[in-house]
Amino acid sequence: MDTIQLTFDGKEVTGKKGQTILEVARDNGIDIPYLCYHPRISKTGACRICLVRVNDTALKPSCTEPAANGMKIDTEDEEIRELRRSILGMLLAEGDHNCLYCEWNGECELQRLCHRYDVPEPTGEFPKREREVDTVSSNGLRRNENRCILCGRCVKACSEIQMNSVWEFTGRGSATTLTSDMFDRIGDSSCVKCGTCVQLCPTGALSFQTVLGRGQSWELQKESSICIYCGVGCKIDFYTNKEGVLVKAMGNEQGPNEGHLCVKGRFGFDFVQSDKRLTKPLIKKNGKFEEAEWDEALGLVASKLSEIKSATGPDSIMAFSSAKCTNEENYLMQKFMRAVIGTNNVDHCARL
Amino acid sequence: MKPEKISKTIEKYGNDREHLMLILRDLEVQSGKNVLDVQTLRSVAEQMNMPQGAVAGFVGFYTMFKTEPRARFVIRVCKSGPCHVMGSTNVFDVIQKHLGIGIGEGTKDGLFFLEKCECLGVCSVAPAMMINYDIHGNLTPKRIVSILNSYKKKKPTLKEDCGKEVDGKACVINDPKQMKRLIADVGVVDPLKIESYMARGGYEALKKSLKMEPAQIVQTVKDSGLRGRGGAGFPAGVKWTFVTKGPHQKYVVCNADEGEPGTFKDRILMEENPHLLLEGMAVCGYAIDASLGYIYIRGEYRRSIERLQRAIDQARQKGILGKNIFGSKFNFDVLIKEGGGAYVCGEETSLINSMEGKRGYPRFKPPFPGGAGFNGLPSNVNNVETLMSVPMIIGKGADWYKAVGPQNCSGTKLYCLSGKLNRTGLVELPMGSTLKEIINVYGKGMAKGKKFKFAQVGGSAGGILGKDLMDLPLDIDSPMKKGVTLGSGVVLVCDEGTCAVDFLMQILSFFEHESCGQCVPCRVGTAQLHALVKKIAERRGTEQDIDALVEKATVMKKASFCALGQSPIMPITTMLKYFRKEFVAHCNPKHKCPQCDKSLARYYSGRGH
Repeated sequence: MDTIQLTFDGKEVTGKKGQTILEVARDNGIDIPYLCYHPRISKTGACRICLVRVNDTALKPSCTEPAANGMKIDTEDEEIRELRRSILGMLLAEGDHNCLYCEWNGECELQRLCHRYDVPEPTGEFPKREREVDTVSSNGLRRNENRCILCGRCVKACSEIQMNSVWEFTGRGSATTLTSDMFDRIGDSSCVKCGTCVQLCPTGALSFQTVLGRGQSWELQKESSICIYCGVGCKIDFYTNKEGVLVKAMGNEQGPNEGHLCVKGRFGFDFVQSDKRLTKPLIKKNGKFEEAEWDEALGLVASKLSEIKSATGPDSIMAFSSAKCTNEENYLMQKFMRAVIGTNNVDHCARL
Repeated sequence: MKPEKISKTIEKYGNDREHLMLILRDLEVQSGKNVLDVQTLRSVAEQMNMPQGAVAGFVGFYTMFKTEPRARFVIRVCKSGPCHVMGSTNVFDVIQKHLGIGIGEGTKDGLFFLEKCECLGVCSVAPAMMINYDIHGNLTPKRIVSILNSYKKKKPTLKEDCGKEVDGKACVINDPKQMKRLIADVGVVDPLKIESYMARGGYEALKKSLKMEPAQIVQTVKDSGLRGRGGAGFPAGVKWTFVTKGPHQKYVVCNADEGEPGTFKDRILMEENPHLLLEGMAVCGYAIDASLGYIYIRGEYRRSIERLQRAIDQARQKGILGKNIFGSKFNFDVLIKEGGGAYVCGEETSLINSMEGKRGYPRFKPPFPGGAGFNGLPSNVNNVETLMSVPMIIGKGADWYKAVGPQNCSGTKLYCLSGKLNRTGLVELPMGSTLKEIINVYGKGMAKGKKFKFAQVGGSAGGILGKDLMDLPLDIDSPMKKGVTLGSGVVLVCDEGTCAVDFLMQILSFFEHESCGQCVPCRVGTAQLHALVKKIAERRGTEQDIDALVEKATVMKKASFCALGQSPIMPITTMLKYFRKEFVAHCNPKHKCPQCDKSLARYYSGRGH
């Protein structure tokens, strides 16, 4: 592969031909701030935060500008700093960004940049357009467009990753808004609740129903695991709060899913902490389930299976196992059926 | 609307996304109420196999479409520079009085709905309005009422029925001192008959081209020094060389989205001499090895669309468009695409997105259209005036062409005169004519003997020229050195009665309305600029607000995605250069300004202003 040499703030780095300036910077651990860019979606170039100075002259958006051999990049100087501050100030003035009430407080990319560039609080002198707030129509997603910076990540997340194209911009100029399908509420749209738009949203404009009131982002504890629902093996970061309650599931970018999840991985884990879960075996006695000890329950199952096997033969017994079990558990199940019961009647829920 | 009616309409145009604009326009006319309701749009999305959001996003972008029922006739009153100066507030007054409706409101009988709009391209007969697709100019109270009355028995159609005053011929200044090249045949050639064009030597340049090598043609255009007439002034021949060579499909795209307020040259050229454009496109197509051309015409130019379509049909019949043109191996055809009311689509990459049935967002460059344009294929985008200059360059040679005009900006230029002049209209002069000459000779001086205050040259995105720049050659390079621009050739002249604040408010409201909203500096910046100047016009402003105009526009200039957001700095700084005092005066709450009062009362009233 062709390599190119560039300097970032005086530091020489190597990039690949065909990369943008920002891509080279990210590969080399050089920090350039951005809002509309995301590695999982196509380039937009709309937020203008990632402007850098190329060869001491022109300001170029690093997310879309091709890197070239011998380029000299300054990632920040006084003018760029001022521009970033002005643009961030415009975003603050355009929307309603009150971190006190925002469930994404602490994880918001806009918040982080406003902090970094010491952006003054908006004066409120410019008229704002009220945009849609819909926290009820969907049981998975919440939408508060007053926190939206119209970066377009959700639009592209939906059309390029989930391939569902629910989100789109409508209106124009300062009256631009998001729409889901044909001006529908998100809950009435064709949204499949994969949550990819929320995961990519740089602010709290899109959120999950499960987040609000369950602890601040910095109080949450993260555990990574593999999704149990299908064979893709998506890596998921589970966030639990101080009480140990599951708050949200986010796709881990290191996994084969590259951060993406489907509705099952995103919202399908509340059963773990459900109070309806069985914690002890139950045996039906006189038409009613009664709690029992494991020895008693297993003894009962073994005797009943032996009874059936001797009365009607091993092929009158069948076992289903589950994708939620590990490979080892599934192996044991079929081994038990074949070696102990003596039948090949083995199947799996994923075939249903 | 019934699904069968919708499917029939889709069938008529084809169910590819690129036909969405024409399909929706047709359906809107069929609705009889100028509406594309949600149910219709859902059906369109389903039948065209498009995401619903994509259709919703498209409809929301183009201002000519609305999802709420309007009326049988939508009256769009222009409020852009020339019309504003010539009294569009009065037009709103009369309509409001006569029909009892404000902006965004409809009459109870369902006949009329009132909207304000930006430039309709008939600036020499300002003030103007458009009723559905019919444009009427020279509006006086009496005329407005009689025009409105004439619609009582009409039915909405896609066929235009414009007033005589907006006729292309009528909008050309008849002065023998001009140097007529591009408009030499305007009024001489019958635009409806290809024979008339051919009798004047039409399509001879194409014939000649087909005997030349494509590279030779490109070289001739390069040698001629022809620079893009859309506003940017990029050398046309050089642009042609950027089209990626190879066996793939390439396109010639004609940018006929003439939206810069005050510009009407392309409309006149297209209406009066449509075959010249087809010939220019065909020569370009041969030169860059493109077998297909598209003309993207703004939706407001119904007459241009109709006449060009007719010209295309005739040329196809004669075998001038089609296969093996004039017995050569060259195949070429031209198709028309329409706009939907979006100034930003004059930006070539926005235009291409719009052609593809998408929101007219500009694309980042590179890749440039010459590498990846329409449908991702190499496309050469040129303005109407540029392409129409090509046949004469081929016919008469590069040396003949560049004998006129300054060294680096050769040829003639079409100047669009509007505003407070004794005579307004289109003139063709050598590139680099001065404001003084244009005003005094071709405009016959200031109207009603009033004093000159300033001229806006280059359209809303252009700068303000005061008395000191009367002798500045209006070519492509000289104005740049003075912080102004020739742009598309607009010369809008204002007299002492024009309020600088009021004028700037109209420009900045234009930019807010026309910003596509993709990038932050332009989306928020245009809204904030508009709010600031409105505050000053309302006499609630301070000197800090005046400075804030410059600060915001500077950020926009440095950081905006495309030329639209980079433009407002020019009218702002040049206006303040001359008239800062007037702005300061407006910061006094007791300052009297009937003009600002009137604009504030008219343009910002009604349900949908």
